[in-house]
Amino acid sequence: MSEPILSARRLSKSYVSGDRRIEVLCGVDLEIAAGESVSIRGESGSGKSTLLNLLSGLDSPDGGELAWAGASVHVDARAKFLGMVFQSFYLIPEIDALANVLMAARMIGAPGAVERARAKELIARVGLAERATHLPAQLSGGERQRVAVARALMNSPKLILADEPTGNLDERTGDAVIELLLGLCRDTATALALVTHNASHAAKTRRQLMLTAGSLA
Amino acid sequence: MPWYLYLALKQLFPTGRRFPFFTAISILGVSLGVAVLIISSSVMGGFGHKIREMTVDTQGDVQVRGDGLIADPAAVQAQLMKIPGVLATTPFAEGAVMVIFNLKPQFPGMQGIDVNHITNVIPLQQYVHGGALAALDDDSIILGSQLAISLGARVGDTVEVYTPLAFEKLKMSKGDEVLLPRQLRVVGYFEFGHQALDGSVALVPLRAMQNLYGLGRAVHGINLKIAPGLDADAMADRINAALPASLHLRARSWIEINQDFLFVLQFERNMMFFLLMFIVVVAAFSVTSSLLISVVRKTREIGLLGALGAKPRQVAACFCFQGFFIGVCGTMVGLGLGFGVLHFRDDIVHVFTKLTQSEAALLRFYQFSHLPAYTDPAYLVATIIGSIGISTLAGLLPAWRAAKLKPVEALRSE
Ligand SMILES: Nc1ncnc2c1ncn2[C@@H]1O[C@H](COP(=O)(O)OP(=O)(O)OP(=O)(O)O)[C@@H](O)[C@H]1O
Ligand SMILES: [Mg+2]
Repeated sequence: MSEPILSARRLSKSYVSGDRRIEVLCGVDLEIAAGESVSIRGESGSGKSTLLNLLSGLDSPDGGELAWAGASVHVDARAKFLGMVFQSFYLIPEIDALANVLMAARMIGAPGAVERARAKELIARVGLAERATHLPAQLSGGERQRVAVARALMNSPKLILADEPTGNLDERTGDAVIELLLGLCRDTATALALVTHNASHAAKTRRQLMLTAGSLA
Repeated sequence: MPWYLYLALKQLFPTGRRFPFFTAISILGVSLGVAVLIISSSVMGGFGHKIREMTVDTQGDVQVRGDGLIADPAAVQAQLMKIPGVLATTPFAEGAVMVIFNLKPQFPGMQGIDVNHITNVIPLQQYVHGGALAALDDDSIILGSQLAISLGARVGDTVEVYTPLAFEKLKMSKGDEVLLPRQLRVVGYFEFGHQALDGSVALVPLRAMQNLYGLGRAVHGINLKIAPGLDADAMADRINAALPASLHLRARSWIEINQDFLFVLQFERNMMFFLLMFIVVVAAFSVTSSLLISVVRKTREIGLLGALGAKPRQVAACFCFQGFFIGVCGTMVGLGLGFGVLHFRDDIVHVFTKLTQSEAALLRFYQFSHLPAYTDPAYLVATIIGSIGISTLAGLLPAWRAAKLKPVEALRSE
């Protein structure tokens, strides 16, 4: 097997609220190979979002080690290494769909013709070619999530972290978004870590994991 | 363009929105402050200029006085003329008198002037109305306009003048002599537009004044005109260095003579500027509060930016730049507005006085039919730097709030 693009070793995280200490993660080991798709399920409150936040480097673990493509985690690397999709879509309301996709490219540098063409292509791939100039407020939930998927793929990341991307969508729309996400990741050989409650969505990934009692199984 | 500038502009001018309300109102707030600053400092500057001009017009650039009288003015004048930079000189004598017309007394200061040469130093003829400076002879007088009104004397009337010397003679003669006043015909008024001068000064020829006060050929001082462009203070120093100490003469520039008044003028202007700057500060507070609201409203988006790879200081720059941009736009609009108003100031005053029917009052009290304006470059620069600086500062607090947000918490927030 090739070098894992993400490797986490004995990650732990606990929250202190008041005088109580909640051990959310205690020793999570996870390796994700290039292009691999992994699903993570678990009860509500089991720490799935917490884990994704650690993997994305947005939050720092209390203990353990994390490496992105063999290197240590650094903010400057995030925009190129990672794409993220959330339950809420988090589109920027002031700019249209295409500009939202391009926003990811702007984080790395001023977008040129190549980036613009790629953003257009991605918008078309998620089936929104006709809606590229629409503002987020003019799009439906499913359409917004598809814009968010296109945005996550914009910088050709090595890995996409998706935290319940269908949580706010109805079943049919959710299925379509998952199909799209899996299909695009497969086509572009992008690894995917998908957090979901939906067993049938999870079944479509290559590896299925459960988060219970603070560790993955 | 870095993403944070792009996003800042997009937040100020969202795509597809014709009229960005928040931005327009913020810009308007700053621009009103800037406009008021420019208008008021320019009009005050205009008045200041007028007052300085008038001061030089009444006193000359430099004045030479002695400990007491200057006994031989012609010799001193000849010496002064030898100093490079001195263009013209004119002697004067002065003193308080009592002027009576129709049993109404007034106690103006009387100035004896060298009618033939004074206009080389002081453009007095410009201020004389209802007669001519050239008409002034030993039996005539020119009154300040307000003084003439107080006396009720018109051109052609004859006023009576008593001097201290006349009373002295009366006292010495122990009542043997009859006190006869000097009869002088009014041949004109002068009007500088300055209450203190127009209300309490009268002009007579130097010879007449010397006679009235028993000065002989002596004078009280000499006014000088210096070459244009020369610094009056430096010139006064040069003259003091050139005059022999034995003469006990001292030259002072008009700036030095009027330093208290000029200081008050400048102080007033600075104070006004400082206070009006608070309009910009208040506008900046509203910018701060709307940007703060925007930070709170956009908490989740700020979290998303973090997820996309944004650094806290870039997020801060995004909000700080919005304050800066509002400052720049507000300042430009404000300058346009301010200079626009200044350009049409006479029409505006005209319309205003028409509406309030106060045109006559304005003319009577201020003696101007058009508002002076002079924009001091220093104030202009201070206004621009001040308003842009304050607006940028206004963005700092929201920027700090935004930068402090942790992406994880921001994304979790409901
Ligand atoms: N900032 C925090 N402070 C205190 N406790 C927290 C904080 N963030 C998360 N937790 C706790 O950590 C646990 C895990 O939360 P997390 O959001 O990771 O769960 P989850 O598995 O994603 O749940 P869900 O499926 O509902 O999204 C929860 O019990 C939560 O209350
Ligand atoms: Mg969660």
